Amino acid sequence: MPQDTSIDVHHLTRVEGHGNIVVDVRSGIIETCEWQVPEAPRFFEAMVRGRHYAEVARITSRICGICSIGHTLASVKATEAALGIEVTPQTRKLRTLLKHAENFDSHVLHVYFLAAPDLLGAPSVFPLVEMHGEVVARALRLKRLAHEWGSLIGGRTTHPTTVLPGGFSMLPDVAELEAMRDRLAAALPDLKATVETVAGLAAGIPAFDRPTEYMALTSEHEYGLYDGHVQTILPNGDRAHYDVADYRSCTNEYVVPQSTAKYAKNRLDSYACGALARFNVNYDQLHPEAKRTAEALGLRPIATNPYLNTVAQVVEVVHSAHEALRLFDELIAMGIEDEGLVAPARFGTGASAVEVPRGILFHEYSYDDEGMCTSGNCIIPTGQNHANIQADLERLLPELLAADAAESEIELACEMLVRAYDPCISCSTHYLDIEFVR
Amino acid sequence: MRYLIGIGDYLGFDDSIGLRVAERAAEDVTERARTRGADLPRVIELGGNVIDLAHYLDPVTERVLIVDAAVMGVEPGAFAFFGVEDVESCKVEQTLGGHQADVLGVLELAREINGALPPLTFLGIQPHAVKPEAGLSSVLEARFDEYVAAALAFFERA
Repeated sequence: MPQDTSIDVHHLTRVEGHGNIVVDVRSGIIETCEWQVPEAPRFFEAMVRGRHYAEVARITSRICGICSIGHTLASVKATEAALGIEVTPQTRKLRTLLKHAENFDSHVLHVYFLAAPDLLGAPSVFPLVEMHGEVVARALRLKRLAHEWGSLIGGRTTHPTTVLPGGFSMLPDVAELEAMRDRLAAALPDLKATVETVAGLAAGIPAFDRPTEYMALTSEHEYGLYDGHVQTILPNGDRAHYDVADYRSCTNEYVVPQSTAKYAKNRLDSYACGALARFNVNYDQLHPEAKRTAEALGLRPIATNPYLNTVAQVVEVVHSAHEALRLFDELIAMGIEDEGLVAPARFGTGASAVEVPRGILFHEYSYDDEGMCTSGNCIIPTGQNHANIQADLERLLPELLAADAAESEIELACEMLVRAYDPCISCSTHYLDIEFVR
Repeated sequence: MRYLIGIGDYLGFDDSIGLRVAERAAEDVTERARTRGADLPRVIELGGNVIDLAHYLDPVTERVLIVDAAVMGVEPGAFAFFGVEDVESCKVEQTLGGHQADVLGVLELAREINGALPPLTFLGIQPHAVKPEAGLSSVLEARFDEYVAAALAFFERA
């Protein structure tokens, strides 16, 4: 057993935003084992106060560049709940289709660009282009498909423009839906190849087991993504149900010193949300092809290895593709009606839950009689996962030490663990920083 | 197809300039297309999802103009057109994700995948301040119309 180990991963790479892993072991005694979130608060909940209900989603979609569709949908749904707006079946189908585009896009990004390099021994995707060029090209093809699929319905995928309280400002026509449907159908071989690629890498996924509580949106009608109520499952199969309006009773946020983001807990000291949690809660409602994918990848509920979240994402990509084909066909058969926005029936308080790629997302707003927002609350899935990540690290580290793992192996295992959650901590800047050479 | 692509973060203060220019350019392009039926670029607001830039760099693309804040060591508010070969990146981005990536790194990825890049130019705008805040500095605001005009005029010359 190593006597002293010191790991300080400052700004973990291949996650969205900034987080640190700090481990300090002295004479075999663990003195520090921390997942630290140093991101500054961004005060979105304050920004929406005093804004008209039509503006709120435009603001909250900026919480995230990857999950901006999810934030937009959660925002408009919470606003609709507050305003007594019941959207049409067409709106619901289009939004669900949009939700599937986001999950597809984000999961492809995570699996290929963020998680796979670890399994291939590369620091990032860039060195993989030479040895695995076709695999990287395939990832970009799939990502482009999802980007354009989302843009068709949402106006654009980053900060969508067409989703409004009560409906859509602009609708795709049937010809556009047919064309996108055909493109998605043509991409199924690329999905099959994705499953084969991940199956080939699966041996590199660390074996680790820490059962926890798993939380997801659940629906009677479909694998919970857009609508439903909250459900959690314990490793023994015991389920608990919560109304969305009651979300605070199952999230129980609290503050910890090493994180600017709050922690959350429910029936246990922490819980997990995200693809693996959705898989565990909603397995029965997966598309048959997704179930076959899970079988091929050795994933069965209730899976309690957090590293398998990436594998669950692959299962969900397959599910989203086939569910989207069904939704495209239904919308094409129905035709697209030029519906106006459904108007408010009242002004009050409302909450919503939507599954974004990283887990269940809650929004809640209150509006005055003029339709101006008086308060807002957002509980982000990565924030809900921080406590579980910390608990995982506290369980993993002693196991690695007992196995006489080298410091470099411990560091990689901890990094891969955090990455498996696909955390989305914050947005960062994108400016160019250059030097003229000619 | 020709693309005018704005990159940035609306909540990054002057890091939002690329998006703002693209947004205004899109309005202008729509109006010009409506009134003159001109052959105009397609305007893309990419936001922070920089890796999606790769989707617009395939061999059938005729020309790309990327508008972004660029730390060039010049006066805040100054702007310049330059090509990929004219610069080296000073950014140390070891990752490629949805939120963060060096734009030049994404271009290199696209070049390696596709074998070549389409004709591509940057319109870089020196920021006054990049910070986690909504808004734009007065320096960049004062020259905003100039940036939009320069971006659209690029396609009239190209």
